Amino acid sequence: MSQRDLVSAAAWLVVRNAHTAEDIFQNVALKAMTKGVQFESVGALMSWAFITARREGIDWLRRQKNAPVCLDETILELLEQEWADETLGQAGGRSQALRDCLEDLPAKSRDLLKRRYFDEHACEAVAEQLGARLDAIYKRLSRLHQTLKKCIETKLEQQVG
Amino acid sequence: MTLSEEQNELLLRHLNGQLGPDEEARVADLLRDNVIARAFLRSVAEQAVVVADVERLDQHKPQPAKVVTPVFRPWKWAVAAAAAFVLLAAFVIATTPPRHTVKVSDILGPCQYIAADGKVRDEVKVGTVLRVGDTIRTRSSSAWVKLDLNGGSLMTIAGRSRLRLLNVDGRRGFQLAYGNLWATVAQSLKGKAVSIQTPTSTVETKSAQFDIEVHSTTSIVRVNSGLANVERLADGQTVDVATDHQVIVPISRNRKFAVIRQPKPVNEWSCRLIASSGAVFGKWLQPDEKNSVRLGATPLLIGKKNTIFVASFSVQCSSSPPVLIESGSRVRIRGTTRTEGPIYFGITTQRIKGAFFGKYTAKIETGALGQAGEPWQVEVPLSQFKPKTKHLPGSPAGMELTDIWIVSREENAELEIHSVKFLPREVGQ
Repeated sequence: MSQRDLVSAAAWLVVRNAHTAEDIFQNVALKAMTKGVQFESVGALMSWAFITARREGIDWLRRQKNAPVCLDETILELLEQEWADETLGQAGGRSQALRDCLEDLPAKSRDLLKRRYFDEHACEAVAEQLGARLDAIYKRLSRLHQTLKKCIETKLEQQVG
Repeated sequence: MTLSEEQNELLLRHLNGQLGPDEEARVADLLRDNVIARAFLRSVAEQAVVVADVERLDQHKPQPAKVVTPVFRPWKWAVAAAAAFVLLAAFVIATTPPRHTVKVSDILGPCQYIAADGKVRDEVKVGTVLRVGDTIRTRSSSAWVKLDLNGGSLMTIAGRSRLRLLNVDGRRGFQLAYGNLWATVAQSLKGKAVSIQTPTSTVETKSAQFDIEVHSTTSIVRVNSGLANVERLADGQTVDVATDHQVIVPISRNRKFAVIRQPKPVNEWSCRLIASSGAVFGKWLQPDEKNSVRLGATPLLIGKKNTIFVASFSVQCSSSPPVLIESGSRVRIRGTTRTEGPIYFGITTQRIKGAFFGKYTAKIETGALGQAGEPWQVEVPLSQFKPKTKHLPGSPAGMELTDIWIVSREENAELEIHSVKFLPREVGQ
């Protein structure tokens, strides 16, 4: 994944809203530029960016009514560490692979993802819009996420092989 | 180890924010103890932000920052200032004369796109637009990229080639650092010439069909129709190359720089390895008891964690006349490999006095190579070469041979080549 996508994804896990996560990423990028912080390595930069994004996300949550329960910070740190390790590995092509995989999805599947993650509708609302049971929506989402994950892995393997 | 469907759904319900305290505790335990659960959650988060990003782009409406509380923050002034700067820059860009672009119209094999700002993309798609400063590389012997210059003009680079778009006053500028290029420049480009720089020459034309083969110390320019002006960079000397003519541009000013008529095609070619001029990719090895000439395959990184070992031989560089491919033609190669495993022969073809045609390859199975470490000689009839893409005819008979390459995927094979011949059909065939 690109560094932008990773930091946004880490913020999304806290706020669960893609637009707010994008705002948080922009704030983090702005801080990195305006504060003139120097980083010794990409790893140090990413570590700082994850922590800053998490704090911004938690601050945002505190200002919300009915905010979702945030994961324990120790778990968030674990997830961020795994992301940071990926950044140092072969994560570069994953963003493009994911975008390519999304393009390959059937229109119906992409519509479901759009409703849930772009329009930010809760699963209950999506179920109502599509006239489906809530369980069925969770099942479809679960399978879609697995399909995309496998698709990315396949594309990356093809690039390598 | 995989997650159960129920565990996946539990994580999705957590993200939906509808779990009670007990279930949230289960989620926390699962994520603390299970690396697969964490990987799933991370992939959902990545997918969520990328879905939103893709939809935003699709709808052409970038979302402004959502202001939850209207609190004044100084950094927002910085954002506003940055936005104003971007707008000003956009205005300046919009009022400066447009620079030329080309569009990728066809692609095969590993390529790399390096944007003017240094951003690298290992996957290039049809429709990608290249601008001044951008570079495109074809990374393996079997790769090619076709470029549309607008107005009916086309370019193809193939094999191991590197092309960059340059900003040349009043011209559509390119730099071919190495490799092969075929171009058809139509006159309708509003009178603007195409200018191609190589390490040894500058080639300019307003209308021509031509090809260029470029190496670090030599460029070979052949004009099949129209007229091109060629400058030797070593001394600034220029020549006009007209239809059916060619010129070799050496880096040294002491060597001959003269336009000659293109020789008539022949139907066989024996690459002059001793003179070494025909071998364009590979490393020379010390002669041994059995072979006075040995060209070792050179590693070529064609993608992430993907290296092949290649030796390549060019017809033009060997000073041969053009070689016509006939239906019964054969490729005969002698060499050695130290391990058992297949190797691949490949040929690049172009139309006689014309543009790039396509690439064909043949897989040579271990059985045909005999015992590992022992010299082999393999003769492959044209009929065994398969086209690299579906749109190519099954046989390249009637085309011109550009080069021959030999590939091994195994480093331990230590592929080396001792002789390369392109033979005519046998008498009586």
